[in-house]
Amino acid sequence: MEEVDKILIHSLRQAGTAVPPEVQSVRDLTPELVVEAAVRCLRAVRPALGAPLSPLLPPGISARFRLASDLAAACQELGFGGDVGYQTFLYSSEHDTRRLLLFLVEKLPRDEGERGAETPGTDLEEGSGKSGALLRAIGARIREQLGTPWVPPVCRTPRLQRLQTPPALLETHAAQLSARHDWEAEWGGPGLASRLPPQEYLERKRLRARLRALEPLRQACPPHPQGPTPGPPLDPAWLQEAFGAGGAGGALPKGSRFTRTQHLTHQQDPQVLLQQMQAAAETLQPPKGPEEDPGSRQASEEAALEETLARLEAEIEGCRGEIRAAQLSLTQAEAEVRQCRGALGGREDALRVKARAVELLPDAQNNMAKLQLVVESSSRRIVSLAGQWERHRGPLLAEYRQLRALRDSAQVAELEALPRDVSRAVYTQRILEIVGNIRKQKEEIGKILEDTRALQKEINALVGKLERTFSVTDELLFKDAKRDEVVRKAYKYLAALHENCAQLIRTIEDTGTIQREIRDLEEQIEGETSAKLPASLERILSDCRALREENALLAARARHA
Amino acid sequence: MAEPEAQLLRAVGLIEKDTNGDALWVWCYPSVTAELRTLLLRKCCLTDENKLLHTFVFGQYKRSWFYITTVEVQDSPALKKVTHFSIVLMAKDFNPEKYAAFTRILCRIYLKHGSPVKMMESYIAVLTKGICQSEENGSFLSKDFDARKAYLAGSIKDIVSQFGMETVILYTALMLKKRIVVYHPRIEAIQEFTRTLPALVWHRQDWSILHSYVHLNEEELEALKACTGYIAGFTDSEVSSRSDLYDVYVNLADSEITVSPVVKEAMTMGKLHKEIGQLIVQSAEDPDKSDSQVIKDISLKTKEILATLASLTEISDGNEKPTLNAEALKQKRFPPATENFLFHLAAAEQMLKI
Repeated sequence: MEEVDKILIHSLRQAGTAVPPEVQSVRDLTPELVVEAAVRCLRAVRPALGAPLSPLLPPGISARFRLASDLAAACQELGFGGDVGYQTFLYSSEHDTRRLLLFLVEKLPRDEGERGAETPGTDLEEGSGKSGALLRAIGARIREQLGTPWVPPVCRTPRLQRLQTPPALLETHAAQLSARHDWEAEWGGPGLASRLPPQEYLERKRLRARLRALEPLRQACPPHPQGPTPGPPLDPAWLQEAFGAGGAGGALPKGSRFTRTQHLTHQQDPQVLLQQMQAAAETLQPPKGPEEDPGSRQASEEAALEETLARLEAEIEGCRGEIRAAQLSLTQAEAEVRQCRGALGGREDALRVKARAVELLPDAQNNMAKLQLVVESSSRRIVSLAGQWERHRGPLLAEYRQLRALRDSAQVAELEALPRDVSRAVYTQRILEIVGNIRKQKEEIGKILEDTRALQKEINALVGKLERTFSVTDELLFKDAKRDEVVRKAYKYLAALHENCAQLIRTIEDTGTIQREIRDLEEQIEGETSAKLPASLERILSDCRALREENALLAARARHA
Repeated sequence: MAEPEAQLLRAVGLIEKDTNGDALWVWCYPSVTAELRTLLLRKCCLTDENKLLHTFVFGQYKRSWFYITTVEVQDSPALKKVTHFSIVLMAKDFNPEKYAAFTRILCRIYLKHGSPVKMMESYIAVLTKGICQSEENGSFLSKDFDARKAYLAGSIKDIVSQFGMETVILYTALMLKKRIVVYHPRIEAIQEFTRTLPALVWHRQDWSILHSYVHLNEEELEALKACTGYIAGFTDSEVSSRSDLYDVYVNLADSEITVSPVVKEAMTMGKLHKEIGQLIVQSAEDPDKSDSQVIKDISLKTKEILATLASLTEISDGNEKPTLNAEALKQKRFPPATENFLFHLAAAEQMLKI
């Protein structure tokens, strides 16, 4: 029990309770210490519960009572199975206090207790090793990317695109979701109403959109029979008017969307669009001659568009090549700059040295001799300075090393001074012993139970036999009892014998029961005496008196106020 | 090009590990910045927990070379509290043999006398006169260690025997001034391998691209990223996941070369590369040829390619250097891989019109 108490007190000390060193067991804990220990443990386990409670037991009885009942309620909320109330803290018994404190200490989070008892690798958040490093690296990267300001997708450089992975992910996701949503909405409404399969519906839609796009062009374009006047139809201004703002230029019911997209796109787009339309209009015109055949017109449209597509692709390839060349030139230029800077630094130094040399050149021999002397004297001076410095440095370094050694040895001594009885090996040994003992006891109990059961069976069998024998004997004798006097006496003796034996048996059973009761009562007495009732009773009476006085005081103050 | 020693030697320093287990900078001359001090503490193996002693390591940081010799102290009356120490030398030139010999001499002096003052004398002697007396009745002459000898000291034959035809990938990467990262758990293996790589592009004789010992530390990586092309050696296997640091990744332990997808387009190999690869392998497999002869053969082939390139250049007005005429290149109708290679090579050799 002492070791258990020592470990308990050690854990309480680690949790922050100031337990004085002379307290060696739970018996010596005062109510103040118990309350402080409980509150600190509570704060460590669940800060929310423990924060409103104060670890110091107030002097006023009512305040004490309140604190103790709050503390008891908090402990019950934590899940303490036993009986806990204000009396556990104020008028505690050793057994109850120990139970409560053990429960609280067990609930403490792991790193509040033995720090060394943490097993590596089990905690995912602070994992060591490669998986932990990987998770941390991922977390750091994502944090960094989330730190960069969001740039709309159209304005991003490739580098920025790579950095903006979280927003990019969100954007693609959102785009996908909205596209699917739109399609579902459309298919759910007009799509299903058209009673066409989805592909055909999409084809129809595409065709309709195309026709709608070319409608204003066709309308605004004057009929060809008027002669080959390519001027006005290809006027950019006229074209712009055809697709003008507000969609007024043509029979476009939804022309606004087209013009809206036109406005939103880049500045250059209208020009490109115009060029494309120009090319389309050009190829549109010749077939608009005497034939006016819609089929061939469409075919030529297609050919023209394909031509423009091919041209644009060629242009894109050319641009790509140019970009590559430009990048290479850039790297080359950067390398050149770096090289030149390095060379410049070197050349400046060389220039300085040569300038000095040139100055000294006229009187070369003398100057060389002088320089030699200067060099030798300065080397000698440097060496002597080094020697002087060494005279200071040596002792300082030795002192530093000495202090470090002292500090290390002090730390080692401190380590050794720690309570030696907190050694794990001894405890594991003990625990294993106890477990062995318990196992043996369990076996013994099992054997005893078996014996008891066998005995009970025997008793039952015997009782049964007795009953049967008695009834048979009874019958037998009763039959002959009417005739024979001796048999009647024998019958009376039999009955008396049976009665007395039955009484004996009853008495023996009662004795056993009473003995059991005696044992129970003795245990109860032990428990009650260890609860120190008289002392607690005295304390309670004195507290009750103090409470009454406080009440009287408060009542008096209330009356005067 | 014999630069006076005074312009090459930058600083000398001393790191000690004592009986308390601390690794401390105890002395330096003339001065070493705090940034360099942290860097060099990281490079010298005394701060490592795994206690592997690397006798000699070297590397480059921001155009300055460092050479570190580490020695274990056993029964030295002069050094009682010291278990190991490292002598660090900072210089502007690449010459591992010279500085290894010099630092060994300094180590012996320090072991014997226990005071850096004697080391100072030798250092100043080498700085001013280029010669110093070593402890074993010999002398160290810095002019014995020529720069060219340092360049040629590595073994190109070993590289070719390890990688075979894939050596041409390294050749292409070096010619196009790409970023090569080499990984091996032992620093000595990396140093041996990477110091020889710049010999593949002998016409440049540029060893400033070599960073043979880099850690995955922010400052070092920033300094590395400031260079266009480099050869960087790492002992940390996590570098394989840092695809932002390399165009070509060499796993020296497994003899694998990986090309990053970003530069695959620029480094497509064709007939020309196959020719070069075959030449390299043949030359290296010849037992009669020495390493320097192999390097010479490779450089002759390089000269041929550069001559081809030169024939396609012209001196246009406004540029002092000849620039590549893209039309002439197209007219030659080289196979696409060769044309691509020549175009990128022109950019690397600064022959593109800007």
